[in-house]
Amino acid sequence: MITAELFAELNSILPSERIIEEKNNHPLGNSGLVKVIPKTEEEIAAILQFANEHGKKVFVEGSGTKRGFGGLIESADILLSLSNYTGIVEHVVGDMTLTVKAGTKFKELQEYLAQYNQKISLDPFCPTSATMGGIVASNDSGPKRLGYGSSRDVVIGLRIVYPDGKVIRSGGRVVKNVAGYDMNKLFIGSMGTLGVISEVTVKLRPLPKYESLILLSFPEGQMDEIRRFATKLLDSTMEPVTLELLSPTLSEKLMGRNCNTVAIGLEDVETSVRYQEKFIQSIQPDHTELKILAGQDAQAFWNQFYSLTPISPTDSSTSTQTSLKIGVINMDVTTVIKESHLLSDTHNLKVEAHGGLGHGLCQINLKGAKEDIVSAIQQIRESVTKLGGYTVVKHLPFALRQEIDTWGQKPTHFFLLDGIKSKVDPKRVLNPKRFVGGI
Amino acid sequence: MAVKGIKSNDRHILNLANIVGDARSIIYHKEDLIAYDCDGFTLHKHLPKAVVFPKNTEEVAALVKYCAEHQLPFLARGAGTGLSGGAIPLNGEVIISLMRMKKLLSVDFENRRAVVQPGFVNLKLTNSISDKGYYYAPDPSSQYCCTIGGNVAENAGGAHCLKYGVTTNHILGLEVVLPNGDIVEIGANGIPDEPGYDLLGLLTGSEGTLGIVTKITVRILKNPEAKKTVLAYFDNVEDGSQAVSDIISAGIVPAALEMMDKTAIEGVEAAAFPVGHPKDIEAVLLIEVDGIADGLDEQINQILGVCRKRNVREVRAAKDEAERGRWWANRKTGFGAMGAISPDYLVQDGVIPRSRLPEVLSRINKISEESGLRIANIFHAGDGNLHPLVLFDARIPGQSEKALEAGSACLQVCADVGGTITGEHGVGIEKREEMRFVFTDEEIIAQTDIRSVFNPDNLLNAGKLFPMPGRCVEIKKEIKERSS
Repeated sequence: MITAELFAELNSILPSERIIEEKNNHPLGNSGLVKVIPKTEEEIAAILQFANEHGKKVFVEGSGTKRGFGGLIESADILLSLSNYTGIVEHVVGDMTLTVKAGTKFKELQEYLAQYNQKISLDPFCPTSATMGGIVASNDSGPKRLGYGSSRDVVIGLRIVYPDGKVIRSGGRVVKNVAGYDMNKLFIGSMGTLGVISEVTVKLRPLPKYESLILLSFPEGQMDEIRRFATKLLDSTMEPVTLELLSPTLSEKLMGRNCNTVAIGLEDVETSVRYQEKFIQSIQPDHTELKILAGQDAQAFWNQFYSLTPISPTDSSTSTQTSLKIGVINMDVTTVIKESHLLSDTHNLKVEAHGGLGHGLCQINLKGAKEDIVSAIQQIRESVTKLGGYTVVKHLPFALRQEIDTWGQKPTHFFLLDGIKSKVDPKRVLNPKRFVGGI
Repeated sequence: MAVKGIKSNDRHILNLANIVGDARSIIYHKEDLIAYDCDGFTLHKHLPKAVVFPKNTEEVAALVKYCAEHQLPFLARGAGTGLSGGAIPLNGEVIISLMRMKKLLSVDFENRRAVVQPGFVNLKLTNSISDKGYYYAPDPSSQYCCTIGGNVAENAGGAHCLKYGVTTNHILGLEVVLPNGDIVEIGANGIPDEPGYDLLGLLTGSEGTLGIVTKITVRILKNPEAKKTVLAYFDNVEDGSQAVSDIISAGIVPAALEMMDKTAIEGVEAAAFPVGHPKDIEAVLLIEVDGIADGLDEQINQILGVCRKRNVREVRAAKDEAERGRWWANRKTGFGAMGAISPDYLVQDGVIPRSRLPEVLSRINKISEESGLRIANIFHAGDGNLHPLVLFDARIPGQSEKALEAGSACLQVCADVGGTITGEHGVGIEKREEMRFVFTDEEIIAQTDIRSVFNPDNLLNAGKLFPMPGRCVEIKKEIKERSS
């Protein structure tokens, strides 16, 4: 129960209708005794300053799509929600830059920008709900990272409310900037453990004039053939924006074909896209099936794809759900997808997996009994470690996060990470125990 | 055991020589040290204590450990092409030169990455992989001699970063010797998004103040299928600037979009690589698009259309690779070319929002008029990165100081319109006071706090990157004395 004292203190910052007592802890954890909903940066700063001075712990959330992503404490004193800190601060059409408040939802931004033939060149999961601040703080990216990079390539400036309430700007509003340390990078992917990102400035790209998606399906057991094909395509002068390998189950769900499929996205002027389609048809391996989706059909495919990531603890049948982010050397993606597919038999799990053959990042979504999930994560983590890669658990109910470390082994340079945290947040106010090594 | 051939009574020199093992791997006589008293920023000079040339990571670590234990200030140096004074031994540092760690360690074409030592020259990487159709994207103008280690320190850019990004977008892994001599490996396998704070991103562009990079994994790219390059001459700068904005607004992402003004054109035409730009032109644009050949004509036609709409006097595409090469040589040697029309010049490196270009250029003009110094403008117009070149004669009393003031005033203009003080050259010594144009004291402290995590005693490259309270006037006076 929230004490009268805590309520009174918060009430001196915010009106009572934006201070909500949280009666139950969420099964994904990362809850708060009280949820506060600031509408201004001053309010965010005042809340943090209060927490910092009074030894309170604060969790931060946007719309909650990453609530199952890390965190070893079930509930903090305060859950700071940025869901009402929304809107566009500045869009300079000619400069192709955009500054937004952190709680703004990604899809709303893309729809707004489309009127100007512009876009943020990121393709995060759950774009309908995910907020700009959350995407940046968790460094979420999708298959198009191959063509356009990730938050670290797109974000040019941030406003960050530090744990003591001061506001620090990093970067700026220009697309090229080496004044001082590149502090943007510290906060991208830091899981809110260093400061509350209040504003994000990104550089924009023009919307592609034309796009298509080639879906190339391979017969079972042809991973070597897939690897040869991907190597050949990457060694050509074609410019695919995705080269995503889909597991048979995912391929079945998205396009009705139960076999490994490579999704090759092409975005450029139409003549260029057509030319690349022809090239890919010319190197199409024997016994594969090729299908081309153009324009809106390609977009529809991707929209469905981005919505598949789990955000609730269980699916409708009460199976536990998890999602893993795996990083390996590019072509080892074939091994990861192959091994994850085997989990459906060995662990009796529903497995949907995909990975970028041009950038090495995979996502594996699993559904099934708790104990099978725990064992499967351990198994896959072990084999990924042998490949020199890492496994991060992007989504898992709170109870299971006590058994499985979200981040895996601490890196040898952990003392630097811990040193940075201690410097920026000495009282460990913000998202305590949410990140690597219990930071 | 003493190293043969070392004649010094200084125990530190003897001990440092011991670490690198032979007399040819250390410089300590004053007359030899003079070559290391500055880098590409020549308005400030200071002698180092010694220059050592380690051959491998272990030697670097041992040197650093020795310096740390004996509280000797030290810094790392590559080819010394930096333009902001990042490698100048302000405090009589031991310079750890990485020029003997210059190997290409491995190339993995299938996974598109290469591993190099820090002293490996930027252009050599592209040259080493071009036969297979690959290249390394960051292309600073000094790429024929600058090192990739130095590029990492400065987060170097180049003409083609408009489309392909700067150094930080191409770094996948670093081996670093920390200021206490510990060796850490970040992104060991070159896999993106390694769990933890993004130290790769933080270290890149930290101007050698957080650690010494001893091994670098970089991304390599496949050459684009085709490139097309266009020159456009304008009778007024306003039209040229508008054309830049229009090209970007048309949804084109050029690989490069460069601009030079009349004074700059005079310089490049008087120097080693003239290409016959008309003398009476106010602005020239060099525009390059690359990608799938079938898609380029459409983009080129759009660009030609935009230029005509903006009253271009003449616009043409390069007829072959040789002509394209000449145009780029003319542009890339632009800074040095100012030597042909002025005894001295000072390069600045501001960045502005693209749309403010005409306004900023007219304000820079005004600064030129008020200071009585000519200012040539060469810039990466596509990303708003200006290089005003202040022309002066250091032999004339007061001119060096005036040039510094004019340069600083240009940066103030950039900051005023929402831009920044450096886009690719770094802060170094040169712009540390100007950091205040863009950051508050609190924001600067937030950065020095991070430095203290890596470099708590501030022995590594001290006095760089951040302003020193109350020292502005003093430094400018010192610079004036040294350069006059």
